[in-house]
Amino acid sequence: MIGQLTAGERQLSVVILIALVIIGIAMAAAGRFDPLGVHGVVVLLCSGVLLARLLSSLFEPEPHPERLSKYYDDPIKAGIVFTMIWAVFGMFVGVWAAAQLAWPSLNFDTSWTSFGRIRPAHTTGVIFGFGGNALIATSFHVVQRTSRARLADQFSPWFVLFGYNLFCLVAVTGYLMGVTQSKEYAEAEWYADLWLVIVWVTYFVLYIRTLARRKEPHIYVANWYYMAFILVVAMLHIVNNIAIPISLSHAKSYTVWPGVQDAMVQWWYGHNAVAFFLTAGFLAMLYYYLPKRADRPIFSYRLSILSFWGITFFYMWVGSHHLHYTALPHWVQNLGMTFSVMLLVPSWASAGNALLTLNGAWHKVRDDATLRFMFIAAIFYGLSTFEGSFLAIRPVNSLSHYTDWTVGHVHAGVLGWVAMITFGALYTLVPSLWRRERMYSSMLVEAHFWLALAGTLIYIFAMWNSGIIQGLMWRTYTEQNTLTYSFIDSLVAMYPYYIARTFGGLLFLIGAIIGSYNIWMTARGAPVSRAEQDLPVVDGPVSPATPAE
Amino acid sequence: MRELFHRKLERTALGFVFAIIAAASVGGIVEIAPLFTIDETVEDVPDMRLYTPLELAGRNIYVREGCYACHSQMIRTLRDDVERYGPYSLAVESKYDRPMLWGSKRTGPDLARIGGKYSDFWHVAHLTNPREVVPESNMPAYPWLAQNELDIEDLDLHLMAQQSLGVPYTDEMVENAGRDAYGQASPDTDFASGVTERYGERTQVSTFDGVTTQVTEMDALVAYLQVLGRLTDAAYQGTAAEELPPDASN
Amino acid sequence: MDLDHDTLVFISKSWGLFYLIAFAVGVLIYTFWPSNKKRFDKAKKGILDKEDRPWT
Repeated sequence: MIGQLTAGERQLSVVILIALVIIGIAMAAAGRFDPLGVHGVVVLLCSGVLLARLLSSLFEPEPHPERLSKYYDDPIKAGIVFTMIWAVFGMFVGVWAAAQLAWPSLNFDTSWTSFGRIRPAHTTGVIFGFGGNALIATSFHVVQRTSRARLADQFSPWFVLFGYNLFCLVAVTGYLMGVTQSKEYAEAEWYADLWLVIVWVTYFVLYIRTLARRKEPHIYVANWYYMAFILVVAMLHIVNNIAIPISLSHAKSYTVWPGVQDAMVQWWYGHNAVAFFLTAGFLAMLYYYLPKRADRPIFSYRLSILSFWGITFFYMWVGSHHLHYTALPHWVQNLGMTFSVMLLVPSWASAGNALLTLNGAWHKVRDDATLRFMFIAAIFYGLSTFEGSFLAIRPVNSLSHYTDWTVGHVHAGVLGWVAMITFGALYTLVPSLWRRERMYSSMLVEAHFWLALAGTLIYIFAMWNSGIIQGLMWRTYTEQNTLTYSFIDSLVAMYPYYIARTFGGLLFLIGAIIGSYNIWMTARGAPVSRAEQDLPVVDGPVSPATPAE
Repeated sequence: MRELFHRKLERTALGFVFAIIAAASVGGIVEIAPLFTIDETVEDVPDMRLYTPLELAGRNIYVREGCYACHSQMIRTLRDDVERYGPYSLAVESKYDRPMLWGSKRTGPDLARIGGKYSDFWHVAHLTNPREVVPESNMPAYPWLAQNELDIEDLDLHLMAQQSLGVPYTDEMVENAGRDAYGQASPDTDFASGVTERYGERTQVSTFDGVTTQVTEMDALVAYLQVLGRLTDAAYQGTAAEELPPDASN
Repeated sequence: MDLDHDTLVFISKSWGLFYLIAFAVGVLIYTFWPSNKKRFDKAKKGILDKEDRPWT
């Protein structure tokens, strides 16, 4: 992989890594026994290892100029490996956290394994580790193919990838040590947040430079979604994380937003992280890999444009539906509710567009588990956006809020939609990237599919049940007009569902492990001789390649 | 004209970027911009007091252990919420909360008004092993809190950071942060009186975990739990049936 | 900045609405502008191309 870097790029990497080593040492020295010091050591070790690797081949000859006539795929391959590592880690921690709710002694009474600390490790591991790496890797793939241009340079993709994973590592190890802002999905402390800003700006610049080099005059719609993801996440991340550290040698900081403002900013962030991280980016995958795999153009390109602007516009308003019946002003709650319901239109437009693309190719959906992953993803996208709009209605929310229904809703989204579309995209991407005819084992893809589907269904049915039961128990009155159930009564009623949920999650985890094995074996297998083949040949007219100029 | 504009917009990827920002920012501006001035509409309550250094340290332990993942601190304006947990939460009550800990999930009960409802002893026993007190509980045990000595050296830095954000800690409070934290958990020492002088007569000075020889993280967390919902009595005033805040004397 | 709360809320509630409508109209015009159809059709089919090399 280093072989492709030019001498200039290698030198630049060395300079950056030396700077990072120095930062690591400085953090370790300033922080001492504060967790900041531990993170200094983490930074030092990570950059040190990369530096050693790079120095050993610093003076190798310049790479062959022929590389410029191909797409730059090495960082994508590394990104896929990171994706699967985080998937298995994040989902394992998730199953563990779920098990702790059913059997609390499973934390072994130690601090770093207690529920409150591993829960953010689960959410960050899955959302940012698994989801984020998948988005970065696929965005590098899609932007090159749809622009018919190679990535703008060879240094920035590596910087983005390694930098981003360093952020994830620092964040997750931090939570286990108790370093957290207690802001949901933005728990990482100030220094990790600052680092992510640098990485993200590099990502944005790389993306826009690559788009600027495009040979296709029109920017394909998948790139719009990736762009919105990159841009808006930057906006959200910066605003929500403005904080003042108590000193430069401490990990602890205080947010500048107090009380009710913090609540609004936090859920403006929180819900838009769902919108632009877990929706926009993955819709980009849908709009590229689904047509590609089905070998059919998207049903309506215009509809995809309309739903793009709809989603970009509407989502920003809906965060306040997380704060119904709270101390937030009433009109803000109503605004959030109204836009949440309106949001259903562009959401269903996207889901419908995906399903109509498959209309007429149902035999492919039946036979091909990869396509079935994406088909189920579109269904779950439709379902969970409907559920989301429904739960945002104030009276419904009064029942569902604070209960497991919310957890079930989120997992319908992340297991059913995000993870399924990612696996579908990866099973499409991996053989083409490593120049294999197909995945190592289509049986294993099939097994993964059924495990993932069964796991998701068990999980969300368990949470629907527990959430609704709990919500109803909290508001049940006796004939004497007193509350019927104590809080602990409602908790006791949850245990069977917590066990079922753990089992569902376990099935999903096993599926992800099988998927990782399958991807690993595909990458290690022998390449096909027809090296130029991107996909299995199918009948039907194929528009001939017409290079510009 | 419009078509020309759009063609240009599309040709330059950067124009596209601005369009996304324009579309995406408006919701945030409309909803959030007015909240910057929301303090004009939040009623000022004269009896609102600050977190003492010990309570702030306890709050930071609550943050560190991720308690927000299972406990909310926000009583909604719903009958069953109010009857179960007490008068609904007011915006002013989280005025000094950075971050706010309203939470999003009640795997355990709401804690917005837990202060004063249970004894210190109950909290210590419960945090050390929840199942000794509530056999059906699935809350993690936190036995290490009673063993970890509280880091009171840095508390002035914490108060200073809050001061710079506009929380009205006086310089005297910052100077005495460590001493006050020690004093609040050590009623029989000379440091105890300074706490009530600076933070008000209603500040609870107690041994919390029952051990006087050292100030532990358990002391801090229990001190914080006991002040929840008791920074002001505003929520108890003007309710349909006058309610009384929990008795401060336990 | 001495904007008071009521002014800000008023601006939000009025201009926010105009902004929303204007933007939606703009997007609709763009999407259904006749001469854009060709370009959209090309983009729609273009990704199915089997060629896997950058154009030079």
